[in-house]
Amino acid sequence: MRAEQRSRPETRLPLSLLSRGLLWLLLEAEDRRTVLGDLWELYEHRCIRDGERAARAWLRRQMASFPLRLMADRLWRMSLQPGRPREAETQAGRSEEPMQNLFRDLRHSLRSLTRTPGLTATILLTVGLGIGATTVISGVIHAVLLQPLPYTDSTELVRIYTDSPPHRWNFSVADYLALKEQQTSFSLVAAYQNQVMTFNRGEVAERVDGKLVTWSYFPLLGLTPLQGRLFVESDDVPGAEPTVVVSHSFWSRFLGGDPASVGQTIRLDGTSYTLIGVLPPTAGPLEQSKDFYAPARWAPPERKGPFFIKALGRLKPGIDRAAATAELQAIDRRLFPVWKASYQDEKATWGIVDLKEYLVGDLGSTLVIVLGAVGFLLLITCANAANLLLARAAQRSREMAVRSALGASRGRLLQHLLSESLLLALGAAAVGAAITSAGLGALHTVADYLPRAREIGWDGSVVWLLVGITGGSLLIFGLIPSLQGARGSIEAALRSGSRGATDSVGSRRLQRALVVLQFAVATPLLIGAGLLIGSLARLQRVDVGFDTHNLLTAGVVLPSATYSDEGRVRAFWTGALSRIQALPGVRGAALMDSRPPNETSNINNFDLADKPTLPGESQPAVPWVSVSPDAFDVLGLRLLSGRKLNETDRDDAPPVVVVDRAWAKRFFPGEDAVGRRFHDGGCTDCPWTTVVGVVEDVRFSGLDQPLEGTVYSPLSQSLGWITRMNGTVYFAVRASGDPLSLVPSIRQAVHELDPGLAVTAVATADELVAGALDTPRTLTLLVASFAAVALMLSLVGVYGVMSYFVQRHTKDIGIRLALGGQPAQVLGLVVKQGMRLVSLGLILGVAAALVLTRLMASLLFEVGATDPSTFLGVSAGLLGTSLIACFVPARRASGVDPARILREE
Amino acid sequence: MPRETLGEFEHQVLLAILRLGGEAYSVSLVLELEERSGREISQAAVFIALRRLEDKGLLTSRLDDHAVEATGRVRRYFKLTPEALRRMKEMRKTLVRLWKGVEPLLDET
Repeated sequence: MRAEQRSRPETRLPLSLLSRGLLWLLLEAEDRRTVLGDLWELYEHRCIRDGERAARAWLRRQMASFPLRLMADRLWRMSLQPGRPREAETQAGRSEEPMQNLFRDLRHSLRSLTRTPGLTATILLTVGLGIGATTVISGVIHAVLLQPLPYTDSTELVRIYTDSPPHRWNFSVADYLALKEQQTSFSLVAAYQNQVMTFNRGEVAERVDGKLVTWSYFPLLGLTPLQGRLFVESDDVPGAEPTVVVSHSFWSRFLGGDPASVGQTIRLDGTSYTLIGVLPPTAGPLEQSKDFYAPARWAPPERKGPFFIKALGRLKPGIDRAAATAELQAIDRRLFPVWKASYQDEKATWGIVDLKEYLVGDLGSTLVIVLGAVGFLLLITCANAANLLLARAAQRSREMAVRSALGASRGRLLQHLLSESLLLALGAAAVGAAITSAGLGALHTVADYLPRAREIGWDGSVVWLLVGITGGSLLIFGLIPSLQGARGSIEAALRSGSRGATDSVGSRRLQRALVVLQFAVATPLLIGAGLLIGSLARLQRVDVGFDTHNLLTAGVVLPSATYSDEGRVRAFWTGALSRIQALPGVRGAALMDSRPPNETSNINNFDLADKPTLPGESQPAVPWVSVSPDAFDVLGLRLLSGRKLNETDRDDAPPVVVVDRAWAKRFFPGEDAVGRRFHDGGCTDCPWTTVVGVVEDVRFSGLDQPLEGTVYSPLSQSLGWITRMNGTVYFAVRASGDPLSLVPSIRQAVHELDPGLAVTAVATADELVAGALDTPRTLTLLVASFAAVALMLSLVGVYGVMSYFVQRHTKDIGIRLALGGQPAQVLGLVVKQGMRLVSLGLILGVAAALVLTRLMASLLFEVGATDPSTFLGVSAGLLGTSLIACFVPARRASGVDPARILREE
Repeated sequence: MPRETLGEFEHQVLLAILRLGGEAYSVSLVLELEERSGREISQAAVFIALRRLEDKGLLTSRLDDHAVEATGRVRRYFKLTPEALRRMKEMRKTLVRLWKGVEPLLDET
């Protein structure tokens, strides 16, 4: 009854639905009731006084202005009296108030940020760069190092290898067969060898990378086909119909993604293979950049070697690694006597390593270094942003004081300032997301070099990383200045004119601390970059040992199926070489199975007749390069003693080799190596191989590896074996002009002999050397760019703080100069102030660098992690550039006109 | 407590409440102001001014229960605080001082 009575007058008011709705939106329940009641009373009064018509017109006028006035009032209250809700509102516990405050703050902040576009853009771009770079690298680390491999129960997967510290050698066929028959620790074992084949499509021959695998390879990894089937045990049987599984990429590129292609034949290396299945687009890292899989039908072994296959195992549930290793070592011990005639390394045994560690292990340290670099960069950009915002807060301190005086609580002020930081963080996150996208895209272009790169992409984890990193950045660059800005005394701010409350001792100290932090972080980054640059410079100066000028290399793989006859193999290579040697513009041509500076196809062990390996010791192993006799002249290698290889060193002649200076020095220091004999490849009943000559050193195992000797053996003695292994043989061609201009005629020369062959891996020697420097160069460039940005931001930081210092103290400086102070003194004073901050940061930074650079020791070449000249050089450079950054504001200070200052006072 | 400025309309509202005996509700105020100023007064303007004056501590308000019983509607009564009275006295004094001797000048121009 009572409720009905109360609501009656309000409901009787002739109001439109829109008006009622607006009032409902803009007024609290209680206010709404009183307002409607009041309106009703006035309406009634006007009806009596002026008639209903006039009253209605009055009501329309009222209702036209009511919502607008209420909204204007609300905005007015929000902007001028933040943080002081009406008593009634507080009592009513208005839950929408904080959200409304937030939106209003965001709106205000957006407006005020667009008024300072320079500052806003600087913060967005620098912090965005930091966020983006950090997200990309943490994304890579997450995907590559932390995520399990994309195989079924991938933690059970291991690689099995021959353990001969420091080497982890491949398995041989003999090893794998013994492993397969005797092991009980693994639910499955598999083996594979990487293989290059020529894919013939009509006239076109394409070189494709793939694998020869045992049938158990796919079941072991848990891979399933997208189309067709994968291998079964019967595919492995020698003599079975040749079958092949192709990658999704191969299927789409060459077969048009046609499901009907499964079951048809494709020609690889001149042999027809039945296509039985297609892998899904995203297989695992072992399948990265591989186009085909064919069954490995290895011939039964005649000796222990050669060691060219990789073995994998899936541990049975409940079997730990130690037990599995013990079993493997027991099998190896049983196997050793069987092959003793061809293998004497009793010290070598079998071991296992987690497949993930095997695939990505080396990357860990590099990625962590890069993450450190980008993390530091992010820290510096945040510190820089914090400093800029602090300065801005100081400028706006009067505004804050007025708000505070009008009753805004510290919490409200903080929220207002934080909303600005929040907007900046959102903007920076957008910039960061763009950089992340670009970075992830760029990663896919280097997928061949970065294992698991194809698994990296925009996914939930990257988004969370972006959000988390942005949040962390916001805490640093948003919270510090906001807290500081919301502090400060009102009276001081209002009293001191342009100098504000937040321009307090605390704020200035914080700005200085941020500058110190920037330098403390920039210093290790710069030192790290300096070490990498020094290391790269030394790598670039490494003498590769031969004349790289005008030298071209190009590879050909003879398919073993069609070149089973050794006479045919020999005829091809002799014919091709003589054709190329006769080409115009060719000064010389030779054949090699390896390419300097880091493509060694074979590492071989040997036992010297004069210095036999003791029982239980491992035999020495060095790069073994098979070359045609002209190779020494084409490479330009000087003969140091004995003779070079020549045409008489054929496979029916006694085995001979030429060694390099490092080999001679390593095994026969101070003596002549010519005439020394050894057994190689673990063969004890083979004839002795004799060293007939010593030549200059050439790098074959990488620019950063120590020279441990290379053996050159006659290619004619290993052509048959190389062809059986589907190995690549390269032409090395010395041109009189541009070597790349020879490529078409070299192709033609090969095709004249066999049109089905592909000439691949064409590269000049200069490109090979440059390629060997790719990884260190990219890493150096990356870290150096981050360091450069860090240096620049740190300099801007100290410059900003000192400029501000000068601006604040113009009056004091003027008075000092008026009282007879010398400009030089003022200059010194300001510079000293700035350099004190820089030095403090530098000291902290150097201390940090002494610890941190040790982490990158493995990436450095001939440069110590605590290389004094780099430390000193970077410190001097930092001090020098900072001196300039401090000098500019100091100059301004010393140029203050005392008369003008005093006049102004 | 910082001194907050009073708008012209707020000043008028305070005077109207004083004239109505120191306590008034919105309807009586609108009528009073319309009568004194000779123009239509917006109900919204009065509502907002009252709310602001309350915020400034120059008014206190109460909901009138008797009005509910009598008319079936809620009235909010506003009362001048001692601070309001003090401010009004002060304002008047200042204005009188400022007006002193300038009226003839106003007529001349």
